[in-house]
Amino acid sequence: MQEISLHILDIAENSVRAGADRIRILLDETPSALQVIVSDNGCGMCSDFLRSVTDPFCTSRVSRKVGMGIPLMKSAAERTGGSFTIASRPASGSATAHGTEVKAMFLTTHIDCAPLGDIVATLTTLIQGSPHVDYRFRHLQNGSLLAELDLCRIRQTLGEEIPVNTTEVLHWISEFLREQYETKNYHL
Amino acid sequence: MTVGKLSQILSLEPLAMPNGGREWNTVYIGDLLSRVMGHAAENSVWITIQPGINTVAVASLTNVSAILLAEGVLPQDPVIEKAREKGINILRGNDTAYELAVRLSELL
Repeated sequence: MQEISLHILDIAENSVRAGADRIRILLDETPSALQVIVSDNGCGMCSDFLRSVTDPFCTSRVSRKVGMGIPLMKSAAERTGGSFTIASRPASGSATAHGTEVKAMFLTTHIDCAPLGDIVATLTTLIQGSPHVDYRFRHLQNGSLLAELDLCRIRQTLGEEIPVNTTEVLHWISEFLREQYETKNYHL
Repeated sequence: MTVGKLSQILSLEPLAMPNGGREWNTVYIGDLLSRVMGHAAENSVWITIQPGINTVAVASLTNVSAILLAEGVLPQDPVIEKAREKGINILRGNDTAYELAVRLSELL
C-alpha cells in the first residue's frame, strides 16, 4: 500500500463484497490535505462489528486470522496527522437507507504521506471487476472539479448491449479521466 | 537457535516473550506493513521501526518468530499485552536495522 489509490481500491472492494450496487468515491484536495470518502449502499455493519473493523485481528474473511485493509488505511492516514472514521447503517427490515461511509484525511504536507498514485488504474480495475456497480467518482481541488466519472451515465450512453468492462470501454474510460487531469495540468 | 537465546546473546530487551522457545532461521527487514505481509518468510526475525498494533497482527499473519524493534522504538503497553495474548515475541534493540541484521547474521 505505497499509494493512497491502493487503499481506495481495497476499501471499495469491501463495498462490493457488502453487496453494494452504488459506490461513490470522492477526493477533496486542498494545498495541505487530501480527504478521501468512499460510500456505498451495501449491507452495512451493526455497531458491534463496526467497532471491531479497525482491530487488525478481526475480519469477515475466514481464510485469514486478521483483516488488514481498514487498519492499514487508518494507520496510513493517522501517521500523517490526519484522521480516519467509518460510519455504517445495517440493512434491516424497516430501514430503507443502508450502507457504509469511510472517511480518511491525509495531511499531504507530512513527509510520510503516501502519494495518491494511479487513481485512474484503481477505477478501471474496480469497473473491470464489478461492472454491475454504479461507480461515481469526483476529484475536487480547492473546491473546483478536477475530474469526474459517472458510470451510470456512461452505461446509459452505451446502451444495454455493450458491457462497461470490455477492453475498449475500459480503455476509453481511462483516457477520458486522464484527459480531464491533463486539461487541468494535474500530474497523476 | 531460539528467540530466547537470541535475546540473551545480543542483550535485546524482551518486551514480550510468550514463546521464547521458538526457533528462528532467517531475517527480514521492512516497515511498510502491506509489503511485509507478502514478503516476510516464516520463522524470520522481523526487524522494523513500526511499533503499532498492526505490527503484531502482521507478525501473527506471517508467522514470523519474533518482531525486533530497532533504534529503541517503544510500543505502547496495549501493543505489548496483545503480543503476549497472541503468542508473538517482541524484542527491542537500540541499534539501527542494519546493525542489528549484521549481528543476527553472525549467529546464523
